[in-house]
Amino acid sequence: MLGQYLPIVFLIVLAFLFAALSFFASRLLAPRSPNDKKEAPYECGIIPGREAPERFPVRFFLVAMIFIVFDIEIIFFYPWAIAHGEMGLFGLIAVLVFSLAVFESFVYLIGNGALEWGPIRREAQTGDVVSATRTTSTTVSRAGIRQVGLEGRTGGDS
Amino acid sequence: MIAALTTPYVAWWALVPLITFAVAGFLLLTVASLVRRLPAVLAPAWTAVAGLGVLLYLVPMWSRVGRDGADSFLAGTVGVDRSSIFVTGILAVAVIAAALISRDYLPREDLPGVELYVLLLMSAAGGVVMASANDLIVLFLGLEILSIAVYVLAALHLRRIESQEAALKYFLLGAFSSAFLLYGIALVYGATGSTNMVRISAFLAQNVLVDDAMLLAGLGLLLVGLGFKVAVVPFHAWTPDVYQGAPTPVVAWMAAGVKAAGFAALMRVFVLTLGTYVSDWRPAFQVIAAATVLAGAVVAVVQTDVKRMLAYSSIVHAGFILVGLQAATDRGNSSVLAYLAVYAFLTVGSFAVVTVVSGTGDASHGLDAYRGMGRRHPALAGVFTVLLLGQAGIPFTGGFVVKLGVLAAAVDGGAYWLAGVAMLAAAVAAFVYLRLLVAMYLEEVPSGTETSGAVPLGALVVAVASAVIVLVVGLVPGPLLDLARDAVPVLVAG
Repeated sequence: MLGQYLPIVFLIVLAFLFAALSFFASRLLAPRSPNDKKEAPYECGIIPGREAPERFPVRFFLVAMIFIVFDIEIIFFYPWAIAHGEMGLFGLIAVLVFSLAVFESFVYLIGNGALEWGPIRREAQTGDVVSATRTTSTTVSRAGIRQVGLEGRTGGDS
Repeated sequence: MIAALTTPYVAWWALVPLITFAVAGFLLLTVASLVRRLPAVLAPAWTAVAGLGVLLYLVPMWSRVGRDGADSFLAGTVGVDRSSIFVTGILAVAVIAAALISRDYLPREDLPGVELYVLLLMSAAGGVVMASANDLIVLFLGLEILSIAVYVLAALHLRRIESQEAALKYFLLGAFSSAFLLYGIALVYGATGSTNMVRISAFLAQNVLVDDAMLLAGLGLLLVGLGFKVAVVPFHAWTPDVYQGAPTPVVAWMAAGVKAAGFAALMRVFVLTLGTYVSDWRPAFQVIAAATVLAGAVVAVVQTDVKRMLAYSSIVHAGFILVGLQAATDRGNSSVLAYLAVYAFLTVGSFAVVTVVSGTGDASHGLDAYRGMGRRHPALAGVFTVLLLGQAGIPFTGGFVVKLGVLAAAVDGGAYWLAGVAMLAAAVAAFVYLRLLVAMYLEEVPSGTETSGAVPLGALVVAVASAVIVLVVGLVPGPLLDLARDAVPVLVAG
């Protein structure tokens, strides 16, 4: 009975062993001579020239949220569509209540500007989420890499 | 063609509280999404009115259940009895109180104005489901509706990193506890062949399991899962951190509402469903209750942050409620319900005061903030004094009456040692409240503290009303105890 699952277990164990062995083998065997350039983030082989100019909003997560809203709705619609004849009026009302509740979250997302892709609306800035004194040079520090394009900037750490 | 599905019987009149909370939340969210500028007072007023409506509706519901007896519907998965009505009432009170406290809190902290109320209403709807579940799966559904809303509520203070931390801790531990609970439900299902509480208790009454290891394991996991929610030792570790970090009005709801729903669930699952196994789970409950009251009281003494102090004091209260619950008698159940009611008032009142004292930023929770409060805010300090004395269980307050109730229930069941331990813990915990009182009245205002202005109305109303109710219950305990005595939890087959 359970014997037929043995190959799967064997494969899982093998996969773990292979990953673990490779990991430790590279630790043990590889020569290590770290330097700044090696540790720097890889940017097409060029030494990173400048920081990303500003913080930019990650808006796609809202699109993903909207997708999930309709995804869930559809998942529950399929079984109802198949059995709606038997479920009759009760089923119809139940699925209507459900879809209203789910659609409501879509209304909330739209109402809060989830799909407004125009120029960024400036919200009234309150509190100290983003302080004026916060710049890339205060938040990012990097070991002594030769950075280009920093002439004339102040507060750099080069 | 298959024959039309027979639709289950639904007692709509019994679903009104649940529907009211859920629909009120949905409508509020929709209106707030469609209308750009809502008057700030609308959301809290709407929430409070929904809570008040539920509370008023519970009166005819109570007498109807008294006349016709408890009922069960939706294919036997949801029940209505007087205990579920009682707990729904506590939830409604907690919703009203949290909404009133939040009314001034959100503008003060410059937080978005609607989400808190929507989540509060949703969470309350989940609590109602928990309190009237007749099926373990429905119970789990209610628990998740309740908890997921509260996870978000805990994170609501966008600019306090502590609030995010609290939410993450609560969410992770909550997810763990949900997994424990589900595993427990699965094992109980495996042992008894049903997730329906009525059928489980009937099965266990008629059959003797030759090998009950699976059932006992499931029982233990259920205890772990629900123990996390009501924060009993050793599943309490999240409480102080979460209470400290979460927005204070949310803490009021967590302490009063979530705990009431959690204990209602514990009562339905253990006392009603698994009552035949009481000799197996009672020792565990007794040890946990003793550990909870002792650990909570001792650790509360060394706290310097008032919110943490109140968190540990809420752990002590959870231990006391467990002392009543382990009796597994009608007297024990009614003492638990009475305790939950008085505790709800004590805790929303206390956290209303804490909200006011914390000042803009919701950050000053140290004892320093309370030093000399007797002179700066005599009225607020007076109200807080009543609430603290109530928490300590001083005679002539509601706290004393309900503490006496759970201890009497424990002694009735012969658990003398547990009652002794609980009394010892109450004495230790009294020191905590006295320390706060000393800070308020006998210590000088630390230099450099700005004198805060007027007390916001919402929080003041909650604090004063709670203090008055706690005093009235202490002086005239009869009506509450009668209500709690009549609120018998029963399981009825659908």
